[in-house]
Amino acid sequence: MGTISNAFSTISGALQADQAALSIVANNVANANTVGYTKENANFQENDPVTIGGVAYGQGAQVTGATSVRDRVLTERLDQQQQLASASSTRLAGLSTVQALFTPDSGAANSTAGDIGSDLTSFFSSFSSLEANPTSNSLRQNVLSTATTLAGDISNAAASLNAQRSSLDQEASGVTNQVNALTTSIAQLNQQIQSTSPNTDAGVLEDQREQDVSQLSNLVGINQVTTENNGLSITTTSGAVLVSEGSSYQMTSGPVDGMTHFFVNNSDITSGLASGGGELGGYLTVRDQDIPNVMSSLDQLAYSVSTKVNALNNAGSDMAGVGGTLAAPLNIFNPPVVNPVTGIGVVAGSAANMSVVMTNPDQIAAAAAGAGTGDNSNAVAMASLANQTIIPSGGASQTPSDYYSSFVSSLGATITEVQTENTAQSASVTQLQTQNDALSGVNLDDEASEMTTMERSYQAATQVFTMLNTLMASTINLGQATTVT
Amino acid sequence: MRVDPFFAMNLSGSLDQTQAAEQQLTTELSSGVRVNSLSDDPVAAGENVTLLNQIQQDDTFTQSSTSVTGQLQVADSALGSVVTQLTQAISLATSANNGTMNPTDVLSVGNQISGILDEVESLANSSYQGQYIFSGAQTSTAPFSTSTASSPAITTYNGDNDVNFIQTPNGQKIQLNVPGSQIFQGTGNNSVFTALNNLVADYSTGTVNSVKASSDTQALGTALNYVSQQRVTIDNSITQLTASSDAVTNVQLQLTSAQSNLMQADVSKVSSQLSLSETQQTALEDVMAQLDSQSNSLFSKLQG
Repeated sequence: MGTISNAFSTISGALQADQAALSIVANNVANANTVGYTKENANFQENDPVTIGGVAYGQGAQVTGATSVRDRVLTERLDQQQQLASASSTRLAGLSTVQALFTPDSGAANSTAGDIGSDLTSFFSSFSSLEANPTSNSLRQNVLSTATTLAGDISNAAASLNAQRSSLDQEASGVTNQVNALTTSIAQLNQQIQSTSPNTDAGVLEDQREQDVSQLSNLVGINQVTTENNGLSITTTSGAVLVSEGSSYQMTSGPVDGMTHFFVNNSDITSGLASGGGELGGYLTVRDQDIPNVMSSLDQLAYSVSTKVNALNNAGSDMAGVGGTLAAPLNIFNPPVVNPVTGIGVVAGSAANMSVVMTNPDQIAAAAAGAGTGDNSNAVAMASLANQTIIPSGGASQTPSDYYSSFVSSLGATITEVQTENTAQSASVTQLQTQNDALSGVNLDDEASEMTTMERSYQAATQVFTMLNTLMASTINLGQATTVT
Repeated sequence: MRVDPFFAMNLSGSLDQTQAAEQQLTTELSSGVRVNSLSDDPVAAGENVTLLNQIQQDDTFTQSSTSVTGQLQVADSALGSVVTQLTQAISLATSANNGTMNPTDVLSVGNQISGILDEVESLANSSYQGQYIFSGAQTSTAPFSTSTASSPAITTYNGDNDVNFIQTPNGQKIQLNVPGSQIFQGTGNNSVFTALNNLVADYSTGTVNSVKASSDTQALGTALNYVSQQRVTIDNSITQLTASSDAVTNVQLQLTSAQSNLMQADVSKVSSQLSLSETQQTALEDVMAQLDSQSNSLFSKLQG
């Protein structure tokens, strides 16, 4: 049978429970703007009933603690998408710096500076001009000066690309320290979580771990595996273990062939990281894929133009009536390096090494071999290189101008593609973030209504308490109203 | 359904986007260029390279063609004068050979023809911008010189037979010169100088060998015809150059307009896009200000 004192104890339990719930609300409001905080709900639990004479009497409720409101699938999706978005945005930033070297010439007179396409045309056109008056010193000078501009712009672009590549390399190697700090922290949190709450959500600790994982996702592509006792193991997308429950494995970096490579447990994971995602993936993709692609196109252009032009100039006859010989070659451009073993010219590095070696404009061989100095047939031949398919591209060959045109188109298309990719991924990150915030974020309206509910519930409990008190007084006095009030 | 309590953050993200769009549009407006980087329009950027290449090739050809047309005109007018001089020489030679002239007059005709010979030689040694135009590729060497050591005197050609061509952007080759040997020495009996030297010798004494003088005069006539024929080659080149240059200029105009359409910003379109973007920005800012001014959390209603 229920007693008044039993009711007292039930209602004072309710008062405590409401206070505990209010304290959880207060904590939620206090952390409303804390990054990584997950909204907590009070866990009300019904007390075990007491059975007296076969009748069960409820014993009120208690708050057994707070439960963080989280959806692991959602946060993991968010992390994965974050890896992709951060890789593509890093790659986009790298590519934007690359494309700044190839700003399109608008056609206005002041915009031609540095445009390799215009340089190529000017260079070959200087030979067309020379056709009109092959002995003119000023036209010959013009050939050398357009050649210098062309070689200068190509070699500058190559030098800038190399500089960008090494600065990307430095930024990439800087990521290692951040990754190691995060993985160490995750391993420590794993130990704490496994020892304190192996079976239930670890609340704040779990918030911190999720926050670390989310930061790690910004940096590298990772896979998460939940292990027993609420532990978490993390591998890179290519499978190298970074965190295995309580222990973390350091990522180290070191130079390989002049570029920083990354190691875990002494195995080189660089190529896996490049395609994995995160900032590091973005840096490595630009460093190891995009810039080398651009560079090899420039190298091919520089190599073909230099060798073809040099060969033709050597085959003609200059103002002194002589042609180029092995001992005294009439090279306009610095000839590309030749592999001493195979005797074949080396394309790689041609762009960076491109320069004009001819100083005397009289050495330009406008005349065909053996013809008088007034002959222009070799100048015609060199001018028509502009319209000949002299640059190998894929299986076919292209004219210099077409080659450069497809080069800029494909570079531009790559950037547009990454841009589109990044926009889509960022949108998806925003969407997932919104979903996650809607679930786990602290909504002040919710808290206000929760607080009001608890406040009212507390007020109700105090009313019940007051009433019980009066009732108890009446019981104690047993009709003598004055003894106890 | 719960809502994202941080929705105001998304608003600031949208604000960033509109500002980025405005920046891009402003750049287009201020530079007048639509494609400011390769990724703005990769296809246009590629096409632009080929268009500019063609435009510049056309431009170079137009300039070269002005210069070589000058040279061809000098050659043409030199040959025109040669024709006039030779016609005069023929009429002089004919008049001195009809048996009615006294020896003094014959000698005077001989001197006049000798003067014509000098004149024709100097015309054959014409130059353009310091380069001899009738000496083939030996443009620094005067093509003709006359040795008076023997009688008749002998005029020799010091140039070569090289012929230059200029290539049009379409690949057409237009002849730029005719070697002096071909014009003035011709083939067989067509040599202008041999005929003139012979006539000078014929009339250098008072007595005229009528038969020889008559045949030499006839030879000069043949040579004159031959010079006229060679002049046609030069005239043809001038006509071809003018035609190609006109055609190329037309093409260049079209290409330039295509290139402008491709690369230039459409000012009215960009302006209206900019104005739309500004409206959007103002709206977003208003929304944010509104959210800020009335704290619309339930907490604000609980007070009191």
